[in-house]
Amino acid sequence: MTPPRADAEGAGVVEGSDGVAVELRGITKRFPGTLANDAVDLTVRRGEIHALMGENGAGKSTLMSVLYGMERADAGSVIIDGREVAFASPSDAMAAGLGMVHQSFKLFDSLSVAENVVYAAEPRRFGLVDLAAARRRVRELAEEHGLSVDPDARVGDLPVGLRQRVEILKLLHRGARTLILDEPTAVLTPAEADALFAVLKSLAAEGRTVILVTHKLREVLEGSDRVTVLRDGRVVARLVTAETSADQIAAAITGRAVELDRIHAPGTAGEPVLEVAGLSTDAVRDVHLSVRAGEIVGIAGVAGNGQSELVQALAGLRATTAGRVTLRGGDITHASATERRAKGLAYVPEDRHAVGTAPAASVADNLAMGHHRTSLSSRGLLPPAAVRAHAKRLVERFGIKTSSPEVPASALSGGNLQKLLIGRELAHDAPVLLVEQPTRGVDIGAIQTIHDQLIAYRDAGHAVLLVSAELSEIRGLADRVLVMYEGRVAASYTKDEADERTLGLAMAGGDTRTQVKAAD
Amino acid sequence: MRLDRISGALRSPITFSVLAGVLIGALFLVGTGADPVAAYEAVLTGALGADGIGSTLTTATSVLGMALALAIPLRAGLINLGGDGQLVLGGITAAVTGLYSPLPAPLTVVLALLAGMAAGAAYAVLAALCENHLGVPLLVSSLLLSYPAVSLASYLARYPLKEPGSSLPQTRALPDGVALPAFGDSTVTVGLVLVVLAAAAYWFTDRRTAIGYEIRMTGLNARFSAYAGVERQALTLRLMSVSGALAGLVGAIGVLSFPYRFVDGSLTAPGYTWTGLTAALLAAAAPLGTLIASFFFAVLQVGGLAMERTTEVPRELTQVLQAIVIVFLAARLRFPGRRLNRRKEAV
Repeated sequence: MTPPRADAEGAGVVEGSDGVAVELRGITKRFPGTLANDAVDLTVRRGEIHALMGENGAGKSTLMSVLYGMERADAGSVIIDGREVAFASPSDAMAAGLGMVHQSFKLFDSLSVAENVVYAAEPRRFGLVDLAAARRRVRELAEEHGLSVDPDARVGDLPVGLRQRVEILKLLHRGARTLILDEPTAVLTPAEADALFAVLKSLAAEGRTVILVTHKLREVLEGSDRVTVLRDGRVVARLVTAETSADQIAAAITGRAVELDRIHAPGTAGEPVLEVAGLSTDAVRDVHLSVRAGEIVGIAGVAGNGQSELVQALAGLRATTAGRVTLRGGDITHASATERRAKGLAYVPEDRHAVGTAPAASVADNLAMGHHRTSLSSRGLLPPAAVRAHAKRLVERFGIKTSSPEVPASALSGGNLQKLLIGRELAHDAPVLLVEQPTRGVDIGAIQTIHDQLIAYRDAGHAVLLVSAELSEIRGLADRVLVMYEGRVAASYTKDEADERTLGLAMAGGDTRTQVKAAD
Repeated sequence: MRLDRISGALRSPITFSVLAGVLIGALFLVGTGADPVAAYEAVLTGALGADGIGSTLTTATSVLGMALALAIPLRAGLINLGGDGQLVLGGITAAVTGLYSPLPAPLTVVLALLAGMAAGAAYAVLAALCENHLGVPLLVSSLLLSYPAVSLASYLARYPLKEPGSSLPQTRALPDGVALPAFGDSTVTVGLVLVVLAAAAYWFTDRRTAIGYEIRMTGLNARFSAYAGVERQALTLRLMSVSGALAGLVGAIGVLSFPYRFVDGSLTAPGYTWTGLTAALLAAAAPLGTLIASFFFAVLQVGGLAMERTTEVPRELTQVLQAIVIVFLAARLRFPGRRLNRRKEAV
């Protein structure tokens, strides 16, 4: 790690920066009430995979926004390939060879994969977009980098995991030399993440540079060359991956010692409260499962194997084509979402921006949803004071960091938005809670809080159905684990049986031990 | 707190847009050789002076009524473009009720208002049903259904209900006493009170009721409210029935005030539906904003006529003003969104 040289600014070209792809010097960015970046230095060498870590609110996103031309720093300089630059917009950054995959995807849902990948850099023929060439291009790129996806699929129909691939293909299509990936593996299984890292490593070997913004220690340890850790807007550690450990990074991130990958003690299961018999819907085939009071049932599986559809069907947001669902003994197979909630179901959806919240509405309004017909209102009246008091209570109880409950939810960081969402749903005190990807893109400190809350909820005698792409999460929380593969429950394990290898194998379709029938 | 609010309002993009509109309008006037100060003075005295205020308030009654009719579904992200159809159906129904009701005059007035509202509501619900059950987008179904309604009313006023002996396409005048009470000898009627009461009810519903909350959340993120159990189709039906009822009310008020009859085209010609839609969009369907914007447009509409009379500046200038204000506001609708996105996860 060479310290930045203050004397190095010449006629545009900065000396002493051979082999450095991206260098940020003394970046300071102030927002009303916060110093998001405080004289941050970051040096990323060409051909390396550089992990940028830190809790939500530590300043990673701001730093990347500055690098990518979305924010203008109050002080400091950005040097790309030895040349000082001042990006006015992400287009400038792209022109300089940067490319970014955002955590919330920037895709056109109604367009095809090929159309999305070539957007703004379309192959042309007689002045028109050459769609055939676009499709070919996508196939080539997909093959070259092992990111297979159907070029003609409509992006809106793809599961989140595949949409991520489209984002990465988009960068590759534009020939970005430096790729910034914000939480790229949040929705991938270990196998998919490994495949992604193989891609990233081969890109790095070609001389491209990867900046990885992530919360996941394991993939940083396995996949990165160096690590920079931010806390409260300042760099608190610069580490060489080969010489560090998970504990050391975690301590740098949180500023205290953290217990990683904790396996929680099993709960005491009571009567079944949610029973699913032979449920089928789009992408879900003949699923049987039951969740008992006081237990967490985890559903593992590679993204796109029917988990989302199953949960949506259980939440009443997708029609079931066959089967029967009972909640506390009552048939809810054809009940609406409202009726299910009234009968005792709460739901934390996977997509917190598009489904779980209204980002433009205030934190208070977001926290009131679902409570607005029950505890907060009487005879149809919803007093603003009750909404405010409710918001204040939940903000305190769940440690949601916000300057005021009146600010729009879009101003919250990802982790805080998730705390809002989980807090709101837990506050329903519903006997059954459906949770999808509870800690996707959430920092280590917040993960611990959320996990403790889910365990406490279970121990209070509630049933929890947990869908997660994060195996350590499933293993840590779930009392029983079901693996979904191609729309079916392919295998089922007790807490003790569910080690990472076994689950990984079943997720890949390998273990069909408890599957009813593999063939038609 | 109060000062904060005032300075916030002054810095708001609406104030900015209005000022920018007035300024650019002034440049137009200077360019055509007219005196902008005199022209604007004519607009203000024409609309708010002793001679004009009655006319302004009468216009405001219709504009505000239609603005509310469009704002209420718009709050949930639904656009009712069928205001004209609902308006004339309300008007013609009120006229028929007024002409043929056997009840005493005061009760007939009430009945005519209710009948007009019911007609408008039923017709708007038809558009909602088309969206809910046939998958025709509300925007399309409401707009297309509007034309046959206007034509039907026109046919009724020209043939079966036509005033015998008259050369105008209008119904007979309503019987004596079948009219909304007016204030003094002005053209301003109790209709204004009804419409303002509707605005107050809308404000109350929006701010203080559970359904108002659901409507707002649906407008901000329909998937979010559906996820939380708000039934979209039922909400569409309810909002459209209220919307149509308000449009019908405006039609009924129009018939129960001067000239106390249904005159073909008289309800649609002034373009209340579109001015109302503009006002609703301008205020992003917020109740108080809709009220203020409606009044603002009523002032422009009436003041423009006065300006034309006294200064020879064509009243189209006020339409230019309206357009400029809207363009500026439309630009605003993009900017804060971008700024919010930028701020996301920034701290």
